[in-house]
Amino acid sequence: MTCDEAIKLMDGYLDGELDPITSQTIEQHLRGCQKCDEAYKTHSALIRSIGKATPYYKAPSGLRERIQASLREEIAERSPRSVSRNIPSLFQSKPSERRAVPFGTQWSWLALAATIVLAAIIAFNLAPRLQRPGADQFLATQLIASHVRSLMANHLTDVASSDQHTVKPWLDAKLDFAPAVADLGSEGFPLIGGRLDYLDNRPVAALVYQRRKHFINLFVWPAESGSTGADKRITRQGYQLLHWVDSDFNYWAVSDVSDNDLQAFKQVFEKQLPRR
Amino acid sequence: MSPDVTQRPEQEDVGSFEEVMLPHLDAAHNLARWLLRNEQDAQDVVQEAYLRAFKSFSGFHGGNGRAWLLTIVRNTSYTLLKKNRAVDLTTTFDEEIHVAGHESVSPAAILEHSEDAELIKEAMDELPPEFREILALRHQEGLSYKEIAEIAQIPPGTVMSRLARARAKLKEYLAARMSK
Repeated sequence: MTCDEAIKLMDGYLDGELDPITSQTIEQHLRGCQKCDEAYKTHSALIRSIGKATPYYKAPSGLRERIQASLREEIAERSPRSVSRNIPSLFQSKPSERRAVPFGTQWSWLALAATIVLAAIIAFNLAPRLQRPGADQFLATQLIASHVRSLMANHLTDVASSDQHTVKPWLDAKLDFAPAVADLGSEGFPLIGGRLDYLDNRPVAALVYQRRKHFINLFVWPAESGSTGADKRITRQGYQLLHWVDSDFNYWAVSDVSDNDLQAFKQVFEKQLPRR
Repeated sequence: MSPDVTQRPEQEDVGSFEEVMLPHLDAAHNLARWLLRNEQDAQDVVQEAYLRAFKSFSGFHGGNGRAWLLTIVRNTSYTLLKKNRAVDLTTTFDEEIHVAGHESVSPAAILEHSEDAELIKEAMDELPPEFREILALRHQEGLSYKEIAEIAQIPPGTVMSRLARARAKLKEYLAARMSK
């Protein structure tokens, strides 16, 4: 590899985006070429420090509410009787232009009806085949939503305690089942508390654990008798989901920690489970 | 068909749309803010982008929600940038800075100032929008080349070279500001 080639690939190497073989070739070149090695070190130090110092513009408070309001307005205006549209929009020209086509509204309703019928036919034909993965995906959506909400709305725990003997009786009293609760603080997953949640059409226990700065929601509810099955791993929207079943319970762990961390969490949890 | 039948699923749609897309609000705002360099425009564009995203949400089949949303935010931002082209794009390329004699500024000296957020912000704002967006996506959102290619709508093979040019240009602008 020549110096020119190495310099050209440097950004990809720095970002860890090259294939392993090319990465290795560059590493070899850097080991042998002091000039390129120095250039790489300066470049990477500079890029990292620029990356860290670049201001991040978080959404200001109020923007979320504005968006939610505009979505609801959009829905209200989709109702068949209302013809006028007044969403204050940056890109819209005068509202009157939207009404220039006299039959536009009726046609769109016919089209919508046709689409719904078509969708129903497709769904009817495909549903039986897709039911299992579909059900899992739907549950995954619910689980992620529940996890996100718990972090968003200051409602991470109903009972905040790292003491399993506080959390467990609290949950037992409110549910028709008694989930196992273990503090895994010594293993790097301290217990933060417990919460009631509602998933898959039933009340469930949510145990909240921490991994460094990240939270893990462990959702627990009774397994159907005789149900077994391999662990399931789902990755969606940057969240990791890990599902397993033991003789009594269904477990779903949801977090933004790495897949490895979540696997480790499961192992530690199973090991610490008090014998029942 | 009665209105009730069609309205109820739409109400639910909003719920699931918000659950999937609102967690990416900060990312959406940050990208729009860097592209438009103006807080009010950024907020308007994000709101418009969410509305557009909602209307085409049926076309989203799971997968990477953040990349999907950011693509719409990006396109909406460019629509506005193009509309304001007369005042905007002419200011993005400043020959004077481009050719200024700042070669004397050493990398070590740049490194010393590379933690100065204000300086970096000013230098970033001077870059063309394609460079601002790719730097924000990579350094602030930590997106992979594949995701960046999807959002910026360029071939995956182009991401590395564009990122390299953006970084080189940013270094150059930083040096220019320091030698002033």
